[in-house]
Amino acid sequence: MDFRRQLSAELPVLRRFARALTGDPALADDLVQDCLERAMLKSHLYDPSRPLRAWLFTMLRNLHISGLRRSGRATVVKTVDDLVDGEGAVPPEQEQRLAAGSVSEALERLSPQHREVIVLVGLEEMSYRDVSEILGVPVGTVMSRLSRAREQMRQLLEDRGHTGLRRVK
Amino acid sequence: MTNEPNDHMEDWALHAYADGELSSEQRHEVEARLARDPEAARKVADWKRQRALLKSAFDGVLGEPVPPQLAATLRQRAAPSSVSPWLAMAAAMLLLLFGGLGGWFLKGGTLPVMEADLGRQALEAHSVFAVEVRHPVEVPGSDSDHLQAWLSKRVGTAFTVPDLTEQGYALLGGRLLAGNDGAAAMLMYEDHEGQRLSVLLSTPGTDVETALKVEEQGKLIACTWQDGKLAVAVVGEMAREPMMVLAKAVYEKLEG
Repeated sequence: MDFRRQLSAELPVLRRFARALTGDPALADDLVQDCLERAMLKSHLYDPSRPLRAWLFTMLRNLHISGLRRSGRATVVKTVDDLVDGEGAVPPEQEQRLAAGSVSEALERLSPQHREVIVLVGLEEMSYRDVSEILGVPVGTVMSRLSRAREQMRQLLEDRGHTGLRRVK
Repeated sequence: MTNEPNDHMEDWALHAYADGELSSEQRHEVEARLARDPEAARKVADWKRQRALLKSAFDGVLGEPVPPQLAATLRQRAAPSSVSPWLAMAAAMLLLLFGGLGGWFLKGGTLPVMEADLGRQALEAHSVFAVEVRHPVEVPGSDSDHLQAWLSKRVGTAFTVPDLTEQGYALLGGRLLAGNDGAAAMLMYEDHEGQRLSVLLSTPGTDVETALKVEEQGKLIACTWQDGKLAVAVVGEMAREPMMVLAKAVYEKLEG
């Protein structure tokens, strides 16, 4: 019943989600803080029959998106469905930066809409249905984004593998 | 990018399999396919590896101690607010209903000039905008998240847009006004008969809790108070009693 206790139980997972979404510990915790404040302010709007985690993820994700908009990276975010195929979205300057990159660097190179879907499904293990509600898009869209995100991820990780091999030589 | 459209379609079943989205029957079908299709098996194995990598990169966060500022945020509102201005408000209501004083009930004994201004301002704003049939608001109530974020930001303090559905009022939306103390937010509601109610919110720059004040102007009635940084006025064309009920609802819901 105690809402604050429930929030606090979700805190570790919320922080993990924010960390993976932003790739930046300080930024992630700022986001979590905004999210907690908002959650407490809007607690009366929370429908207890729905999972609290999905509600919090939705809020945090929306705060993150509006943060990206403010910092002028909105072009990538805006209508996701415009990004039919190819989904460029990885700025060229980042292209060179992936040296012996880790999975988090690969994640950072995905477009925000690919990153969020792969984080929600792959890391947070949310169901497609929950993800569709969190992102506000149909399940079919979740799946096609997921498919593209995983393919890009595979290529990025492969590139990274090659770099590693060359180094070893 | 190298996938043929058909592969793509079939891949969906593979993804759904890898993510545990399939029924057991569907699962068996996919497993049969994996046994005879090494390319499909490779993909599924690859996604599993991605998942393991993601987990290894971020699961560490789960074990980290909670940063103090987050713990503080969670505690911050845990303490119930020390004074309930609503008590004072209820007392004011009694005075109004039975005392016939028709006016003030002040906790501090000083007259908050701001509040008087706010009441006037709110009455004026209501008379201007409540009659607007087509453009009563700038941002429609259907976009209430945006409305709330935008107005909270402009007014300078976070608040919850009160939901007055139970009281029979639907949110039409809101607009930004130039108040005496900077930006003021105006929320507009409407009942099923088209009667409008407006809520004006501003931050006069003080942090006090005042009791309720009622002002009347023609057929209009305004209830004003300040709770912390937020000064509030509720205005509508109605008798005192229903206005009191609405003001109480707004008061409670703004707190969130």
